[in-house]
Amino acid sequence: MLQEESDLSLIIAQIVQKLKGSNLYSQLERQAWASLQRPEIKLESLKEDIKEFFKISGWEKKLQNAVYSELSVFPLPSHPAAPPEHLKEPLVYMRKAQGSWEKRILKSLNSMCTELSIPLARKRPVGEQKELLNKWNEMGTDEPDLSLFRPVYAPKDFLEVLINLRNPNYENGDSLSFRTHLGLIQVPLKVKDIPELKECFVELGLNIGQLGIDDSTQVPPELFENEHVRIGQKVLAQQDSAAAQQYIRQGSPTALRAELWALILNISSQPEDVLYYEQLKTNVIQHDLLVDSLIYKDVKLTASNDDYYFVFEDYLYQVLLCFSRDTSVLSHFAFNSASPPKSYIRGKLGLEEYAVFYPPNGVIPFHGFSMYVAPLCFLYHEPSKLYQIFREMYVRFFFRLHSISSHPSGIVSLCLLFETLLQTYLPQLFYHLREIGAQPLRISFKWMVRAFSGYLATDQLLLLWDRILGYNSLEILAVLAAAVFAFRAVNLMEVTSLAAAEAVLADLSTLKVMPLLQIFLFATVT
Amino acid sequence: MSRVLVPCHVKGSVALQVGDVRTSQGRPGVLVIDVTFPSVAPFELQEITFKNYYTAFLSIRVRQYTSAHTPAKWVTCLRDYCLMPDPHSEEGAQEYVSLFKYQSPSVTFPKWLSHPVPCEQPALLREGLPDPSRVSSEVQQMWALTEMIRASHTSARIGRFDVDGCYDLNLLSYT
Repeated sequence: MLQEESDLSLIIAQIVQKLKGSNLYSQLERQAWASLQRPEIKLESLKEDIKEFFKISGWEKKLQNAVYSELSVFPLPSHPAAPPEHLKEPLVYMRKAQGSWEKRILKSLNSMCTELSIPLARKRPVGEQKELLNKWNEMGTDEPDLSLFRPVYAPKDFLEVLINLRNPNYENGDSLSFRTHLGLIQVPLKVKDIPELKECFVELGLNIGQLGIDDSTQVPPELFENEHVRIGQKVLAQQDSAAAQQYIRQGSPTALRAELWALILNISSQPEDVLYYEQLKTNVIQHDLLVDSLIYKDVKLTASNDDYYFVFEDYLYQVLLCFSRDTSVLSHFAFNSASPPKSYIRGKLGLEEYAVFYPPNGVIPFHGFSMYVAPLCFLYHEPSKLYQIFREMYVRFFFRLHSISSHPSGIVSLCLLFETLLQTYLPQLFYHLREIGAQPLRISFKWMVRAFSGYLATDQLLLLWDRILGYNSLEILAVLAAAVFAFRAVNLMEVTSLAAAEAVLADLSTLKVMPLLQIFLFATVT
Repeated sequence: MSRVLVPCHVKGSVALQVGDVRTSQGRPGVLVIDVTFPSVAPFELQEITFKNYYTAFLSIRVRQYTSAHTPAKWVTCLRDYCLMPDPHSEEGAQEYVSLFKYQSPSVTFPKWLSHPVPCEQPALLREGLPDPSRVSSEVQQMWALTEMIRASHTSARIGRFDVDGCYDLNLLSYT
């Protein structure tokens, strides 16, 4: 069998195996059995008739969406000789760096544990469980003493680790040469240049209608907006994930966005999903985790202080506390360079039968983590749906923003893409900022790590996240970061210190993202 | 057809340099690795598998014995096969690679064709979709492979994160 066919068979085998464990599989089975009652299903052509029935009733489309979802999320199967670590991250030095970083985080959490004499996990006494259940919908009113807790790490700590990443096989020399990168990131990952980005983001072109540009009040809606909304409604009626992903590259109408995102992420709230969420809630009630305090602290420090998001404080606890208990998140570590922290039941150190992951979902939140959830609260008000959407967004996109990997959507590649774009297309600005000790990445890093959440106005942020979903890539974050610098270049050329540069870029809340992206990609002289 | 690993001896790499001059600045770009097969019985080589480490291009030459009367001669099977599309960036730098023998009954070893490597995105649908019933029978063969992949992942107990209701933990483990 030729290699391409065996690759395809392997992908099919993996997808079939993955879907076999899903609700969809049992639903399809049930539907197939039930369809035997139907007059058009004949014994002599059973297989074809059932397939035809699936097509007409929309079940085939659901299966297509599920397959498409798997293809979007899972990487292509790697070489049979490649060990599982290779799928997580192919470059050995990056794996090692991620391992060291994780060890630092674990040490930090352990020392917090011992210093404060607070256990990692604790079963709540019945009285406390009842109390928490009663105030589940208003956990924000709680004012626990969080002064002793500190975030495990902040984005700037992570940036220092990325700056120190080195490929042992890369000859850089100690002195500045044409091979040294002028920015902070020193690893030679492949990043796209503007011509390649133009090809990739072709739907953002000047002659293509965009929401965020062509729906402004000055533009008559007959020119683009009305037709775009009509097409969006049609896409939703068809319930086609792939079509929705293509459609949303031009932006989503506000009224359709919640449904479109759910379709693209292949989230449909089934009773089983609501039950699953309720089970997670029960887990929160029963056990108190140290990370809960980190989550509380993070929400209080970030989202609660934000003009747009403070109203959603309670929702954030309801999502993030449950997220920490969700063991289904563990499966994404197969393709995440990070690994879930491990612990043992007290007194059973080293015994594998008593080994557990901590927290149960393997994700330790950092300062700003709750900002991944906050914008979603504008779209989804039912907690279990909001939860599902956030979880899917995390395992598809957000995890890449805080782990060290060579993936094109990983934070390291995004940083290098940002720096390279700035250096190549705004060399004077880049040089000037370097000279005054204001490396541009030091300012833009926090924007990219948070996917701009909390920095842009919410309607603009949602237009940006439309494109993340549409292109199934985070590269747009680096492009936007460069576009913002390009937009404020005149002011930035006049500053003489890092603090002044930061002041110029402190407030992004008035920016319109789509015009910035369009101009940077398609209207800048290259 | 069952496949068997052929024992081989891989010698250390030798740099190709011009003349005897060794300069510290001139780093040779070409290294040669000799592979010998101590078991002399003739065999049909199907596949070479290796892990790359920053090699950009690969050539393979084979010393072929055709008959008892003519001396053995060197034949180039693969010339400048690209392993890293951009040698100055990380793409393909540490990938696992397999090179296959082109399946043609009339041609014997060592006719080789270069071959798209899994790390490049192959045009999977170049010849149209494969026949579904044939694919589903191949799926059975692939099953063992996916089981191997799946088994090597850390498997979490579905749903439950505790051990018999207990989640009373010590500290986080560093190993």
